[in-house]
Amino acid sequence: MELSNATFARTLIAAGMLLVLPDSAAIADDGLGLLKREVNELRKELAEVKAELKQQRKQAASKDEVSVVENKVARVERQHGDWKDTNSTLHVAGYADIGYADAQNSTGSFNQARFNPIFHFLYKDLLLLEAEAETGISSTGSTEFNLEYATMDLFLTDNITVFGGKFLSPMGYFRQNLHPSWINKFPSAPIGFGHDGAAPEAGVGAGVRGGFGVGARSQLNYALYIGNGPELASDGSELDGVKSGGFTRDADGKKVIGGRLGIVPIPHLEFGVSAGGGKTSVTKDEGSGTAIVGDAARDYTVLGADFAYQRKQLDLRGEYIQQRVGDASASVAPRGGTWKTWYVQAAYRLLPTKWEGVLRYGDFDSPHDVQDQQQWGVGMNYLFGPNLIAKLGYEFNQGQSGTVADDNRLLLQFSYGF
Amino acid sequence: MSNQKYFAARAALIAAALGAFSIGLPSAAAEKPSQKAQANAAEFARGARLWAENCNRCHNMRDPKDYRDEQWRPVIAHMRVRAGLSGDQAHAILRFLQESN
Ligand code: HEC
Repeated sequence: MELSNATFARTLIAAGMLLVLPDSAAIADDGLGLLKREVNELRKELAEVKAELKQQRKQAASKDEVSVVENKVARVERQHGDWKDTNSTLHVAGYADIGYADAQNSTGSFNQARFNPIFHFLYKDLLLLEAEAETGISSTGSTEFNLEYATMDLFLTDNITVFGGKFLSPMGYFRQNLHPSWINKFPSAPIGFGHDGAAPEAGVGAGVRGGFGVGARSQLNYALYIGNGPELASDGSELDGVKSGGFTRDADGKKVIGGRLGIVPIPHLEFGVSAGGGKTSVTKDEGSGTAIVGDAARDYTVLGADFAYQRKQLDLRGEYIQQRVGDASASVAPRGGTWKTWYVQAAYRLLPTKWEGVLRYGDFDSPHDVQDQQQWGVGMNYLFGPNLIAKLGYEFNQGQSGTVADDNRLLLQFSYGF
Repeated sequence: MSNQKYFAARAALIAAALGAFSIGLPSAAAEKPSQKAQANAAEFARGARLWAENCNRCHNMRDPKDYRDEQWRPVIAHMRVRAGLSGDQAHAILRFLQESN
């Protein structure tokens, strides 16, 4: 376009000059003839250039057209920027699962339909609000709703995050990091890691957590918190269990302090120790369902250890955890006790297929023999994707004969982490 | 995405490729890459390594393509808390994910 414009201009000037040349007698006839021919040729050339220019104008976008496109680009750029650079970002994650269970001495049923959205709100790189709303259908058909956690994490420095609210217990590993069904490689939680087991479930309070890189490949991570602590349920004059789901009251008036220290000496190997202590008290009689007010405060301690190791297709992990409640002579249930459990699990990906085999052993020990259980779990998973998994598991359960703890179970589960 | 090995291999490849670029090639270009570009490349490579080493400790490795750039921001903030990563490590992993999705 530029080139032909220049040619066009040059031609115009040349033609103009020729046209205004004086008709002088000094110019010889043959000279005039030559000049005329040249002028005619130039005219022809000029016509061609004009035609070419016309053609180009036709093909080129008009100013209006260009400005429409420019506006569109600006709008897309703006929208894209909107996504990228807002102060507040909202993201919804979570998981959903469906399941089937068939236990000895009971009828098989589709026993699971859960939808657990997790909301993430990030304000700049300063604050994360994470909240999980666990919803599911109970065996009697009602909808259960549980605020699994609602935690504010304030990123104070590179290595210190201050957190508060309701959070999954920073003590132990499974409850905090492995219980979502798209993560857990077996359709059920290891024994003692479910509700009212040996592992603390959640806390309401505040704390600090974070991590450091140590040297080139090692890491340290930590969590330390203070919270209201758990409450106890009694069954007549005996303790029935530790309720560690998280309370916004502190019935015994004394806080619980606890935490975990994790060490990753080399990538894909982690060891952790957890400990905690404080006071707790009985607030409910499980048998009658009545509330108990003003029961004596008593000691409460937690101890735990965990490890995890991944190599190629192998995922190996295990955890020990216990909650101990001290004696309290003035309590409705004076005698204390220890709830303890451990498990080890090996999962192996059968590459290049999408199958994964799982083997797990667990042993749960409670002050009540009727709750005690040992379990072998054998499972086979099919991974449609890293977060979409179908699981088939069989539990070989050993408990007091005649109790459900002794019944083997076949489990099917399909889970999607979204 | 097929498996974790593939991820690790891809991360290693990208990291290796970037390493080669920042050391070897600049003389061919008229301008040397700016210090900022070099720092970005180094952070990307570091992020790739940290991602490969940390992000399948608890669960299967998630595909960088699972989320758009801006969605990875809160997710990585979440995982920084869960995995006990430093802010600096989380940032490098975020850059890697945002450039690999
Ligand atoms: C210490 C264990 C742990 C480590 C290490 C870990 N994750 Fe997670 N991740 C979790 C848990 C637990 C969840 C599920 C959160 C929930 O359900 O509350 C999760 C969820 C996710 C999700 C789903 C979206 C969400 O935020 O819930 C993505 C994506 C994810 N992780 C990616 C990563 C990446 C990338 C890394 C590496 C930086 C990583 N994870 C490291 C434990 C971990």
